Amino acid sequence: MRDLAKQLVMLVLVAALCLTGCGKKEDTSSTAKWTIGMSQCNLGEPWRVQMNADVRNAADQHDDIKVIFKDAQNDTLKQRSQMEEFISAGVDLIIVSPKEAVPLTPVVAQAYQKGIPVIVLDRRVLGEKYTCFIGADNKKIGKAAGQWIVEKLGGKGTVIELKGLMTSTPGQDRHTGFREGIKGANLEIIFEADMKWLEPNARKEMESALARFETIDLVYAHNDPGAHGAYLAAKAAGREKEIMFVGIDALSQEGRAYVAQGVLAASFEYPTGGKKAIEAALEILNGQTVEKEIVLDSRVFTEENINDGGELLGQ
Amino acid sequence: MASPLDQNATSCLLNMQNIFKSFGSVDVLMDVNFDLYPGEVHILAGENGAGKSTLIKILGGVYTDGSGSMVVNDKEVDFKSVQDATSAGISIIHQELSLIGPLSVWENIFLGKEKSSYQWLDKSHMVDYSRKILEKFDLDINPKRAVDEFSIGIQQMIEIAKALAFNARIIVMDEPTSALTEPEVKKLFKIIEQLKEQGCGIVYITHKMEEIYSIADRITVLRDGQYIGTETAENLPSEKLIQWMVGRELDQQFPRHAPHVGDTGLQVTDLFVPGTATNPAPRVNHVSFSVKAGEILGIAGLQGSGNSELLNGIFGTYGKSAKGSIKIDGAEYIPDSPAASIQRGLALLTNDRKTNGLVMDLNIIENATLASLPAYSRRLWLKPAAESKAAKDITKSLRLKAESLYQYVDALSGGNQQKVVMAKWILTHPKVLLLDEPTRGVDIGAKHEIYELMNQWTKDGIAIVLITSEMPELLAMSDRIIVMHRGQVTAEFDRDNATQEKILTAALGERKTA
Amino acid sequence: MSQLLKSPKSSWLTSPTTRALGALVIVFVIGLIFNADGAFLKWGTHRDMLRAVSVYGLLACGMTLVIITGGIDLSVGSILGISAVSFSLFCIHFSWPFYIAIIVCLLIGLACGAASGLIISRFNIQPFIATLAMMVFARGLAKWISGGQKISTAVQQADGTYEYVPEPAVFNFINSKILWDNISVVTVIFLVCLLITAILLAKLRLGRYLYAIGGNEEAARLSGVPVNAIKVLAYAMSGLFCAVAGICQASQELQGDPEAGFTYELSAIAMVVIGGTTLRGGRGGIGLTLLGVLIIGYLEKILSINAVGEDKRLMLTGAIIVGAVLLQKTKK
Repeated sequence: MRDLAKQLVMLVLVAALCLTGCGKKEDTSSTAKWTIGMSQCNLGEPWRVQMNADVRNAADQHDDIKVIFKDAQNDTLKQRSQMEEFISAGVDLIIVSPKEAVPLTPVVAQAYQKGIPVIVLDRRVLGEKYTCFIGADNKKIGKAAGQWIVEKLGGKGTVIELKGLMTSTPGQDRHTGFREGIKGANLEIIFEADMKWLEPNARKEMESALARFETIDLVYAHNDPGAHGAYLAAKAAGREKEIMFVGIDALSQEGRAYVAQGVLAASFEYPTGGKKAIEAALEILNGQTVEKEIVLDSRVFTEENINDGGELLGQ
Repeated sequence: MASPLDQNATSCLLNMQNIFKSFGSVDVLMDVNFDLYPGEVHILAGENGAGKSTLIKILGGVYTDGSGSMVVNDKEVDFKSVQDATSAGISIIHQELSLIGPLSVWENIFLGKEKSSYQWLDKSHMVDYSRKILEKFDLDINPKRAVDEFSIGIQQMIEIAKALAFNARIIVMDEPTSALTEPEVKKLFKIIEQLKEQGCGIVYITHKMEEIYSIADRITVLRDGQYIGTETAENLPSEKLIQWMVGRELDQQFPRHAPHVGDTGLQVTDLFVPGTATNPAPRVNHVSFSVKAGEILGIAGLQGSGNSELLNGIFGTYGKSAKGSIKIDGAEYIPDSPAASIQRGLALLTNDRKTNGLVMDLNIIENATLASLPAYSRRLWLKPAAESKAAKDITKSLRLKAESLYQYVDALSGGNQQKVVMAKWILTHPKVLLLDEPTRGVDIGAKHEIYELMNQWTKDGIAIVLITSEMPELLAMSDRIIVMHRGQVTAEFDRDNATQEKILTAALGERKTA
Repeated sequence: MSQLLKSPKSSWLTSPTTRALGALVIVFVIGLIFNADGAFLKWGTHRDMLRAVSVYGLLACGMTLVIITGGIDLSVGSILGISAVSFSLFCIHFSWPFYIAIIVCLLIGLACGAASGLIISRFNIQPFIATLAMMVFARGLAKWISGGQKISTAVQQADGTYEYVPEPAVFNFINSKILWDNISVVTVIFLVCLLITAILLAKLRLGRYLYAIGGNEEAARLSGVPVNAIKVLAYAMSGLFCAVAGICQASQELQGDPEAGFTYELSAIAMVVIGGTTLRGGRGGIGLTLLGVLIIGYLEKILSINAVGEDKRLMLTGAIIVGAVLLQKTKK
């Protein structure tokens, strides 16, 4: 009796897992000429969900390619074995957005040496044994944000910096780039704190800043949820009108939506490169050569240009 | 005391003289002597709590703070650890299995004594050696298989094989047959014969009379921690053995008043409690009995007799795994949960208040009302005033001594803790009280109060079933006594014709009708 | 004899309440010293601290019930996540009336908790394992419901563009302050749940049974306590409080984040334990948990207003948790 009940529970669990797994199964009925393997390091982040969506949308435009998606769930070793599966399955091209450089370099090189072209997206691997790297430059975006803020504030004012995670490369780059961009101006960074990319944390930190400082001109957050959290804190204190909020990432349903709603003064795009990756993949598969290193262009979205698709940042 | 056996034996294997041991202020061994010669089986006999296990633990190096002299193979020894005893050639087969289930047979046999060359385990050698040893015991099993794949009887044999694998000359067997089937027991006895021929000495503890007389050469009896005597088996017939084991005078310190017997309070029919995973023999094997209102029925039995399990089975402790039917005041029901039993008017005072009687993290009041809480609440809400009043009244009538009723029960003495448990059960207004060792760990004064309470309760028409390992208490308080052995009833006595000797004989497994 | 009904004279100095209160006072004094140019002296700072800990406090309420039974609930953060996502979905996308959305969310939380409780009591599975499974499962469910994206007021249309819907009124209400801006609504919700928990533990039969099960499960069972049902109830209550927390979280973020509540279970456990409720079960209480919530809340607030770097924050928090627990452990 007891065993039966136990088995039933297991059955239900397995069924539930299958159900959720099957829901995302790819359409395999197409008559594609080429198969592309896409290895994503972590679908827990909205930005990476967006990256996959961009890849999928771009691929849907072309009948001759089919993309198989794999999610490594933030696990380096899992990503490595998923790469190995792609190699043994003999896909025609691999797009990988690696979790970490060092542990994934050998498996990328292995695929490359077997003659499978590899496009590395967003984060780098070491050495030269890959076909091409596509990514954006956080430092450049941070610097552009800094320069935009200096211009917006007329060269002086008080600013709060809500940092992502200072132990992560994007956090560091968005910080140093920003500091470079505001160099020489009369801006005062009166408060800075790590909010670990999370909105509730950003709100808490902003509350502290609001308690301490009477005049705050602008909040620069390393991502849009951070800027939004800061906005909510200011709104709760009735001070959201006197402060400007600037974020990074500009995902369509986050940063751009906030700009459109008038919450953020600006959001700087950190492009996923999904579309570019498919374009490069097609060129490679058609026998053309692509550049080894493609730096993605980034856009800034403000109230003025949000309906026109943003404005490309100058080089 | 000359060796009655092998006259050529120049020296004895073991000689323990004037052994004393106490736990705190309680003396458990007082001036005990024990010796063992090559080629003999020496039975160590005595009731529960006579001090047999303590003596064995001193011999095995488990207890290292006993006093007295111990000579092994003509050498004075002073064991500091179990390893010391093992290396002196002493091997103990404990009642509870000490094998590690997931490990293979050979790994168990060589546990702690692994053979290795250059740090590499010499596996093939150990497997071969294990197989050879097992063959000696007619055990045709693969030593590479995990121990827990085998039946409990085979495991017991493996345990014995393990104990004998390394040339032990002094072998202690503490109730080795409790989990064995009849053929396996025969096999064990054959092995014992072989061991005797090889010159080993065997110390054997058992609660079964027929076993004693089928293998004993000599018998030593302990009683209440004291050495009573040693005699050859021929010179110590069973009546005399039992006299030695019991031997004490009954004193009149137990004030059982004449019973006020009424109608049948509890009727138990065909109660069956299956065995456990480690010991598949049924714990209670189709037992039937009845108790009248106002009567105290004593249930005697040595360790492992199943008397405690019987009470738990009646109370529904084992849930649906126990079978049988119960009638309380004529109303029949199946005992399948404590909650249902309490509603029917049953109460069980368990034999270990610390593990399953009291909740140490609750105070006296909360413990006292735990089993009858619905009576002190309106719907979901507690009525603290009613609760504390009830607790105050009941603890007063039980003469419980405490600084405050809001104090945690772990600060109370054993006797007062026991009274809290009793308060809990009396507040459920039971028709039948099942008392399992109600005076265990309770001082003399409190014991008397508990006896008086039992008199009072029977006067109020409660039927009581009593288990106690103190024979005088059982004889004095019970109106009627049934005796259990290995899960079955072996005898029943009226108050007037029950004697310690008769009870012990029945408890040792000899069936006689009263 | 009436002497018996007075409290025992056990020294109040060593009671867990006194100790937790002592730790709180120490933290508070630290705040007074490092007051960040007077920021700590403003009521707004304390009000904001209370707002920030309310969600954790709600989780800690349920956690207290479960820990008193000798169990643990690792799934609180994930159930919060499900609740936050569903609440946003119901209010923003489905435009359900707020009371129906709230009731359905509470039922979801209750069901998740009851499921853990059933697995634990019916199949005798360790709470750690069962709630770990629920933690993973519920997080997966939250992501599945939301499609991995935050459910916000930016609603994607069929053609891929976004339409911006106004925030539901219930979000704004829960996210607001009352009593002339002196206290956040979420804090009031937290205090109400705290009160419910306190009544449950002290005044209801259920509460007594929770302590009895945590203190000695076998003794409780043999005393006729319906152990299995009570355990299921404890986990169900925990799930219910998680759902309340999820509703508060979603309202404060104005969106349902499927990642909401990630690792919150650790904070909730820390708050309960720092208060002085033992993980062994059987002893402790909701008052202690409130003290634990305040200790951690003030600690974070003080570190935040002084803009202490993340590295030092982690080190200090770790050290102070050990300190507070040691304070609880010190023998008489």
